[in-house]
Amino acid sequence: MYELRGIRKVFADGTVAVEDISLIVGSGEHVAFIGPSGAGKTTLFRLLNLTLRPTAGALIFEGQDVSALSDAGLRRTRTRIGTIYQQQNLVGRLRVVHNVLAGYLGRWSAATALASLVRPRDVAGAGRALAQVGIPEKLWARTDELSGGQQQRVAIARVLVQDPDVILADEPVSAVDPSLAVSIVTLLRDLSHESRKTLLMNLHSVDLALGHFPRIVGVREGRVLFDVAPDKVGPELLAELYAGHRDEELQLEQLRDGKVSFGAACRPLPGFRK
Amino acid sequence: MARGAVARPGRAAPLLVGVGFAALLAWSWHGTAVDLPGLFGGEGLRQVATYVVKLFPPDLSAGAWRDAATGAVETFAISLIGSLLAVCVGLPLSLLATRTLLYRGILFEARRPGPGARAVRVALYAAGKAVLNLLRTIPEIVWALIFVFMVGLGPFPGVLALGFHTGGVLGKLFGEVLEDVDPAPLEALQATGASRFAILVYGVLPQALPQFVSYALYRWEVNIRAAAMMGFVGAGGLGQRIHIAISLFQEHQLMTLILAIYAIVTLVDALSAFLRARLV
Ligand SMILES: Nc1ncnc2c1ncn2[C@@H]1O[C@H](COP(=O)(O)OP(=O)(O)OP(=O)(O)O)[C@@H](O)[C@H]1O
Ligand SMILES: [Mg+2]
Repeated sequence: MYELRGIRKVFADGTVAVEDISLIVGSGEHVAFIGPSGAGKTTLFRLLNLTLRPTAGALIFEGQDVSALSDAGLRRTRTRIGTIYQQQNLVGRLRVVHNVLAGYLGRWSAATALASLVRPRDVAGAGRALAQVGIPEKLWARTDELSGGQQQRVAIARVLVQDPDVILADEPVSAVDPSLAVSIVTLLRDLSHESRKTLLMNLHSVDLALGHFPRIVGVREGRVLFDVAPDKVGPELLAELYAGHRDEELQLEQLRDGKVSFGAACRPLPGFRK
Repeated sequence: MARGAVARPGRAAPLLVGVGFAALLAWSWHGTAVDLPGLFGGEGLRQVATYVVKLFPPDLSAGAWRDAATGAVETFAISLIGSLLAVCVGLPLSLLATRTLLYRGILFEARRPGPGARAVRVALYAAGKAVLNLLRTIPEIVWALIFVFMVGLGPFPGVLALGFHTGGVLGKLFGEVLEDVDPAPLEALQATGASRFAILVYGVLPQALPQFVSYALYRWEVNIRAAAMMGFVGAGGLGQRIHIAISLFQEHQLMTLILAIYAIVTLVDALSAFLRARLV
């Protein structure tokens, strides 16, 4: 599905967000990315969904080097990649139904897109997607009137409507309570499994990652620190991954001491975008 | 530099700006020949007082009433149609005056336009800005003179004058609003494969619309006053009648017309406030 060779991303202000990442992700694979705040996980996902361009290195999607794609080719490729953002990234002033139906925008003509703003197309489809994430009653609500967790679920419903081949989920459960977090991660996992989608997920909570994913990639300072099966992720590896990051170290301690039960260690809100 | 470290900004700049601004202020005071004793001193004040006394009582005869009412309706219509025209002129131009829709920002991160395409887009932006500047820097009253010359006397040149000048003002303001929208939702829409047009109507405009409405309403309030003024150069409405009343020394009728302006300006302010509360 993806092949990354020596990917590097330097922002305009000189910040090196991704130093050097090489990675191969097969079709249908489920991979969790963990790592401290600022490690470059979100930046990596923005590279993977083709909204940022690597400063150096090659990004191959389905055998195609994406740097060679035209504008139209980029758009076509993006329709196959669905992203759930860490900061929901919804249009607050639009109703929920439009934010969910925005999943169709890659396929709709300009006229259809415009018409749907007046009279929404496929209201039933949007309703089904919202029912899957547990908030069918919010279909006609103004999006900015929803709670953070509800907005996160709207973003997931949008990806369900988009029906892509790959789902990139950047901390999809950062704003919901722990029990809901488990059910959302499970939902995304099962759904990807059934429809043979590739699923890549950034998670702050180590136990969610280890409990639900067969492959764990640890990212630190813009590099891959480890890329192993969950049973190989031991305390030493995690200590190295999170060294110098107090919040995460605390989470680990609590996990180790059994103070937090499985699935309950999601941080309520991760670091804000700088 | 460490990963993610950001240099601390310098401290000299604010001081320099402050000194510069003070100098500018002093120079302007001197240059405009501000003369407070001349303004409030005996002679000038006495002349104004005698003129004001002559205005009373307002002429409330049927003829004067009808004249004031017709003028007021005309001025109202000029301001309304002129402001709508301004939105129609300013909105398309504002899209050209928005860098983030043309060549930079998140919509152009994944694939930058080639040097040729970029040059064309930068030129489009510059042209859009230049047209807006031209429309805006020529005052309504000058536009009105031009259009009276072109299409003759009456309210129509007034409408065109407001549309052109205010179109330039709104185009600039709209462009600034468009450049300022939160890019995060645009990035998410783009990630679904949405076209730039779809991103514009789903992401950019919904965010910009409340401020668009607010600016347009504010400019309508400004325009009702401007519409009253433009009659002085023959572009219809109350202004034209006021000009005649002053020239013919019809002080009592002048007072009636001034009252009509007061009423209509108050009415538009109230209407605008009402619409703002409902729409924004
Ligand atoms: N647009 C940008 N311009 C400059 N620097 C940026 C930009 N976006 C992110 N960065 C920087 O890049 C680094 C990596 O950020 P990124 O958001 O990818 O981290 P993350 O691993 O997702 O962190 P978190 O777990 O807190 O979400 C950080 O130092 C951040 O400040
Ligand atoms: Mg992040």
